[in-house]
Amino acid sequence: MSTVVASAAVARRQQRLDRGARVGRAGMWVVLLGALLLSVAPGLYMLCLSFMDNPQLFAGRLVPYPRAWVASNIGRLYWNSVYVSTASMVATVALSALAGYGLGRIRFAGRGVVYGIVLIGLTIPLQIALIPLFMNLRTLGLLNTPFALIGPYTGFGLAFGTFIMKGFFEGLPRELEEAARLDGAGELGIFARVMLPLTRPAVATVAIFLFLQNWNEFLFALTFITEGRMRTLPTGIYALLSSEFYGNYPILAASLVLFSVPVLVLYFVFQQQFVEGITAGALKH
Amino acid sequence: MLSIAARRSWRRHAAGYAFVGPALVVLAAFLVYPIGYSVWLSFHEWDGYTPRWGPFVGLENYRALAGDEVFWRATLNSIVFVAVRTPLEVGLGFLLALLLNRRLVARSLLRTLFFVPVVMSLIVVTIIFQRVFEPNTGLLNTFLRAVGLGAFTHPWLGDPATALPAVIAVSVWKNVGFSLVILLAGLQSLPQDVVEAARVDGANAWQLTLRVITPLMRPILALTALLSIIGGLKVFDLVFIMTRGGPTYSTEVLATMLYREAFELNHMGIASAVAVILVALVLSIARVQTFVLDESRAGGKA
Repeated sequence: MSTVVASAAVARRQQRLDRGARVGRAGMWVVLLGALLLSVAPGLYMLCLSFMDNPQLFAGRLVPYPRAWVASNIGRLYWNSVYVSTASMVATVALSALAGYGLGRIRFAGRGVVYGIVLIGLTIPLQIALIPLFMNLRTLGLLNTPFALIGPYTGFGLAFGTFIMKGFFEGLPRELEEAARLDGAGELGIFARVMLPLTRPAVATVAIFLFLQNWNEFLFALTFITEGRMRTLPTGIYALLSSEFYGNYPILAASLVLFSVPVLVLYFVFQQQFVEGITAGALKH
Repeated sequence: MLSIAARRSWRRHAAGYAFVGPALVVLAAFLVYPIGYSVWLSFHEWDGYTPRWGPFVGLENYRALAGDEVFWRATLNSIVFVAVRTPLEVGLGFLLALLLNRRLVARSLLRTLFFVPVVMSLIVVTIIFQRVFEPNTGLLNTFLRAVGLGAFTHPWLGDPATALPAVIAVSVWKNVGFSLVILLAGLQSLPQDVVEAARVDGANAWQLTLRVITPLMRPILALTALLSIIGGLKVFDLVFIMTRGGPTYSTEVLATMLYREAFELNHMGIASAVAVILVALVLSIARVQTFVLDESRAGGKA
């Protein structure tokens, strides 16, 4: 008898728990789907706007795209952005692989100071360099050239790249190096033949992270490039805002879609590397 | 005559510099030299056009800033910006990270999509949200009218009272995914045996989250908050494109003030002083970050 009562009580308790869990699950999905809606809605809104012929009508045609392509001279902007982002990415990866190896595996005097500079570069606002770089680039006649962006992007990306590469090289086992040293390899040989091939994941992380960062960079691009022809995508599209297309949202939105597509494709393809770059930068000091 | 050991160590130092040398040159040119330049320029007067800097004025630029209402407005706005955005970003990011840290259908798809705002360029984000906040045909006001809340329609970016909150909202929208990714990685690195032991001891989901997981996560939460604070102090693009610091300086922050002083008003000395103050703020926060990290590392070992 008492066992029946007890088991009924247990069943009721279980039922209450189940109900609680069900409510909890429902609440969880409400939060998740709400967050999902908020995350993607603005992007979808942009997509909708870009298909409208005028702000009131949803035309469902691609009308704004050819006009946006012409209006913002987007082919030229694309080329500038690809060129600048790729060049500084390649330079940064090469320099930071070398520096990361030096900092991570060779105990030389002054290593702490060099690493200190890297850490400062990791956090310092790039605004500090805005005026000095502008003045020097102007003096050297380099404003409105690709170098005006490639140089500063490389300089500021280098801190991040070196930081990641150093962490990676430090993590590689000593034995690798010792075996090569016994075989008579010098420092450069160890770096190039033994270590570098192992760092492919770190190189991928640094490369993809910096490419996207350069692709989106606005402040330096706004200040160091004033000629329309030399602009990169962010400032080229920004310039549309103060042109005859101000308020012409279909054209603007179409330009924005064209601008975002490569970024999103890269992100979806290299998501792993990108997320690694972020968490490594944050958690691994 | 050098002993063999000394020669070997000399070669080691040389090898070290051979590897870091090229990077060091670039860092010196684009980072170290500009910092020195800015600090030194902040003690001078200069319009940016004369080939030589103007006279050395000592701390005059800093004194001028101390008496400048716009500077205090910008500082206050920067602080409000950070003080509102950081708890929201970290709080919402943590909530979503906790939810995604369970076995869940479409978990990685959700994480991927939550992160999309982070990779989107700020120029894209700001233009979309300008459109969302547009008073007449903008998405937000249209929505409010459609659901019968027409009384609440508002020129969000045009009113000094709502412009800063609107900008902060966009910033939170853009960065929650960033906190989420870091916190999720943190959750996945927690010692699973501790969590499992608490579960075996009969802790329910709430107790588990509040009493076990949150305390374990404290250092990573603090770190995420610090990153958000640093990012918030640096904010430029978002404010500059969305409101240009207006209306009537209601959204002016230190970074936009710097840009205006330098490239619209040609006060290079004053602008450099703002840059130096901004850097001092950011580096002092970053200093706290290393403390937190040291503490968490010590805690991890204990």
